Amino acid sequence: MGILPEIQNVANQRIVEVLVSKLRRRQLVGSRQTAIETVLVLRQVVAKARFSNIEQLIQIIKAVGRRLVQAQPKGVYPSPVYSFPVHSIGLLNASAFVSLPYPEHTVGNTVRKVLHHVREEYHAVSRAGPSTQTQKSSFLISKFVSQGQPRKQTLAAPKSEARTTSLRENDPDDPDSFAKGLKPVLMEAIQDVLDELETVYDNVSKSARDHIHSDEIVLTIGHSKTVESFLKAAAHYRNYTVIVAESAPSFGGHEMARSLSSAGISTFLVPDSSIYALMSRVNKCILGAHAILANGGMFAITGSLLAVSAAQAHSTPVVVCAGQFKLTPLWNLYHEYGALDFADPSSVLGFEEGSLVDKVDVVNPYFDYVGPELINVYITNDGDHPPSSVYRLIKESYDDEDHEL
Amino acid sequence: MPPKSSSAGKERLIDDEEEPLQAVILADSFNKRFKPLTTSKPRCLLPICNAPLLDWTFESLSLAGVHEIFVICRSHADLVRAAIRESKWSKPSSGLKIVPILTAKETFSPGDAMRDIYTRGLITTDFILVNGDLVSNVRIDEVVKVHRERRKTNKDAIMTMVVKESGAKHRTRSRGDSAVFALDAESHECLHYEPVTGYPPKSQVRIPREIFAEHPEVEIRNDLIDCSIDVCSVEVPSLFQDNFDWLDLRRDFVLGVLTSDLLMKNIHCYIAKEGYAARVKDTKSYDSISKDILARWTFPLVPDDNHPGGHSYEHLRGNRYIAKDNTVILSRTCKIGNNTLIGSFTQVFDNAQVTASVIGQRCKIGMNTVIRNSYIFDGTTIGANCVIENSIIGSKVQIKDKTRVQKGCLVADEVVLGPEAKLRPFERVSKRRDADDAEEGEEGEDSGDESEAEGDDEEEGGDDEEDASDDEDEVESDSELEEAEANQAAIGATLGADTNAIAWPLQSGEQEDSDADEMETFNNQRLMRIGDDASDLDLTDPGSITSSEVDSDSDSEDGFMISGARRASSSATSLPLTTPSTELLVPPLASAAEKEFQSEVMQSLERAFAEGHSVDNAAVELKTLRMSTNVPLRRVREAVIAGIVEQIPIVEGNPAQQRKEIASVVDRWGELIDKIGGVDAVETVSILQTHCATSERMPLFGQILAAMYQNDIVEEDDIREWHKLPASKGEGLKSGTLQENMQKCWTIGSRMIQQFDEQEESEESEEESED
Repeated sequence: MGILPEIQNVANQRIVEVLVSKLRRRQLVGSRQTAIETVLVLRQVVAKARFSNIEQLIQIIKAVGRRLVQAQPKGVYPSPVYSFPVHSIGLLNASAFVSLPYPEHTVGNTVRKVLHHVREEYHAVSRAGPSTQTQKSSFLISKFVSQGQPRKQTLAAPKSEARTTSLRENDPDDPDSFAKGLKPVLMEAIQDVLDELETVYDNVSKSARDHIHSDEIVLTIGHSKTVESFLKAAAHYRNYTVIVAESAPSFGGHEMARSLSSAGISTFLVPDSSIYALMSRVNKCILGAHAILANGGMFAITGSLLAVSAAQAHSTPVVVCAGQFKLTPLWNLYHEYGALDFADPSSVLGFEEGSLVDKVDVVNPYFDYVGPELINVYITNDGDHPPSSVYRLIKESYDDEDHEL
Repeated sequence: MPPKSSSAGKERLIDDEEEPLQAVILADSFNKRFKPLTTSKPRCLLPICNAPLLDWTFESLSLAGVHEIFVICRSHADLVRAAIRESKWSKPSSGLKIVPILTAKETFSPGDAMRDIYTRGLITTDFILVNGDLVSNVRIDEVVKVHRERRKTNKDAIMTMVVKESGAKHRTRSRGDSAVFALDAESHECLHYEPVTGYPPKSQVRIPREIFAEHPEVEIRNDLIDCSIDVCSVEVPSLFQDNFDWLDLRRDFVLGVLTSDLLMKNIHCYIAKEGYAARVKDTKSYDSISKDILARWTFPLVPDDNHPGGHSYEHLRGNRYIAKDNTVILSRTCKIGNNTLIGSFTQVFDNAQVTASVIGQRCKIGMNTVIRNSYIFDGTTIGANCVIENSIIGSKVQIKDKTRVQKGCLVADEVVLGPEAKLRPFERVSKRRDADDAEEGEEGEDSGDESEAEGDDEEEGGDDEEDASDDEDEVESDSELEEAEANQAAIGATLGADTNAIAWPLQSGEQEDSDADEMETFNNQRLMRIGDDASDLDLTDPGSITSSEVDSDSDSEDGFMISGARRASSSATSLPLTTPSTELLVPPLASAAEKEFQSEVMQSLERAFAEGHSVDNAAVELKTLRMSTNVPLRRVREAVIAGIVEQIPIVEGNPAQQRKEIASVVDRWGELIDKIGGVDAVETVSILQTHCATSERMPLFGQILAAMYQNDIVEEDDIREWHKLPASKGEGLKSGTLQENMQKCWTIGSRMIQQFDEQEESEESEEESED
């Protein structure tokens, strides 16, 4: 069976291609939205895929994942060994030659997560084996038995029959039988990922009232949806004040301040430059993350490093709210402050400043890199974790063999 | 399969397919500013930041959700077609349908191409018209949405031009070829378009006065980059068909539509607030757009993110981009400066310096070589100890050791230079033709060989004629090339011992064709050349002289009707420009045309009167006449009123008879005044006044006016309004008979208004008495 052409074919499907070009053109905004879109695409791909053993399926998903991640030319380098044939470049120091992550890590993360779930389901099913027909096996298998029946089968069909057909890999008589049997479970698994993404804000906000106390002053920067819902959730129980730094040049803080004040929270909007001056009065910094790295550091909106350093100087606790889909098996080894994804200069220097454009080089980074030593705790949809245990979470969420898609 | 995802997917597809969007790319530049780089391939396949221009254009269009693209190619059509076939865009997954269309060799201008589109009947809906050298990340679909919305209420809005705010002195804004736009502040309707050339500097823009009368708020802008992205309606190609003399999209089409009040069509502008769009029109804009891309103005269309050529680059601090596939070899001691892009498989050897440049794939840069502000295409080898500055080097060029390529040089593909060659600034070099590939035909270039001796300060330039294009017909080019070949000995440039190249003759501005297009004159072209700062040209702004009546003298000598009223409402207002620009007074040609028009009008009116044509027929005749000579409406009105007044026979000593004569003439012909293409009764009265003031029929003014009033050609309110105008009193005129007569007419008018007032009063009193 020509599995390679099949993979090729799947990776070039129209639906994948549409997402790829959306990613390239930055038409998708927001990590969660991107993650959801990725899951939807993967679900479609799995639903249509033809495979006769688990390896083929994983190959297919990986191929799609690779295509999607490659659409983001700033590839992920999970390996700390940096291999680049540049012997030397004058005018530059070594720190400029970092492997730079792409802004939407969530795509890769989501693919990894889906792969992890797929494997889990498969192992659960195969471990259960055709012989164990009772429902005392693992939680997942029980779910498969109770809900995961193929739709086409009549209810009268005996369960054991469905089970045996579903597990026969590489069946020469009916190569599709394996796929047919496994697909419902897979759909279930993918649905789990999707559900997790859809409830991520609620789950992060669950513990909000344990973190924010009455009459506290909280500082945040920019507009993070997670932080927004976290603060709003806390406002149900507590009466407190938020200082929002506007985070130039995107000024997401404006939107944030509007949203918070309309929810009845006492809100101050301040320019980024006054963060340090105000920090002495702040009880807590609550920030959003763009990607959480394996070492416990994170990429976050420009200005975060400013806020966090100020917090460090005043010994103010720094709390980061983020969904687990932002966990990225990636290290930032070389770069000290920025994430080097640079946007266009127009928000810093207007295009209409014609005569200046020629003379000024504008640097407009999207994200800051915030090291693990500056962060006190991550609040995720699955509990609170110190930066030092992020590597553990990553180990649990993803399979090692998927780090390189 | 879970139902949710499939239905969501379907919905998305349906949304996409709702209104299939068509686009037309003009893949020919219709000029030859890139000579000799464009000898072997068309401009749209020249790489910018290592991807062909055409790919950038496709990317811009597919960003807008275009479904069907027609690529109009003329020169090197087979190359364009092959490039499209092999590009990622023609794969089914790209969702684009690209149709290359080969147009005839006789297509010399965008106008011809549009006519070709019309004849082929390709266009079925609103479409996007762009050039094959566009780099843009503007959301064109937004523009299309705005355009379609506008079309729903206003069927005459035929086109939306995308313009980008840039400030007057932006590097991407061409100094040689820009424009002033007069826009309605609210609707962004383009009211007036004035092309601006950089040399000779333009100091004035003439804006028709009617614009200010009709629009409460007008923006006059000299800070816009014309992105050459037009959202056109279906009728645009047909307009080109109707007006076979339109060549340029802007200077002929836009100007033609705006100045014609017969077409009654509107053109709007869309001022792109976000995004970047510019056209590689010339080598200078090639340079500035490359820099804009490297400085990430085109984000997310940047080399490290969404490179149209599909390469992947790594973005390093200082906007350095290095190909990411681990194939670039940079020596330990080489220096890579800011704003540089280096393609894959390229090697840079010891102590070489590359700054603000783009290096293609598989290039070699030798030891101690310095490259600054230059663009080097794929596969080029540069030896040791060379200096290359502000130049464009084609692909597979070999430049041997110790060669100097100074500012503004263009080196065509496969040229071998050196060793120790020294090119003069602005030298253009291409490969000498071998006997067997002679018929490949390197295309023509206007040559002028006298200028070689004039030294380096007098630079050559492309004195391109309007119809000249990337691909000249063989005969012409051969002769020119032979001329160039014959002159090799005379050319001072040393091209080195191993060279296979010939230098194109340098040219200076001295021997211009006097009738060459203003845009294409040598000095203006200099403003569009890479590396040319044109500092020796006198481009200083003549200052901001605001004068509103600069031009009133130019057309007052035309005889037929000399008047003070004319002066007051003379048709244009002059505005100072903030950038260097050209004087554009009414060319003598125009006044000649006007004279001709006046005599024609008189003849045709005489004929009409004598042969008793119907009013409609006479009106049609006048309209056609006006179309062919393109004079303002007011002239026609003047001519018609004069004709009618002169038609009235003078009856001495019999007022009753006289009144009857007047009434009969006005009854018969009065209608014509309002049928020539616009109604403006106040103007009619003042024209009548000024005509009578200079005519022997002066005493008849009151009666004619009364007759017109009777025939509803003018209303009471119009007469009152006319009466209020200071010009009607003869103000601002030198005292003399003219002013006296004007005054007299005005007094007659006053009397009439008095009568109106009395009438009203009596009516009112009647009403009162009835009560």
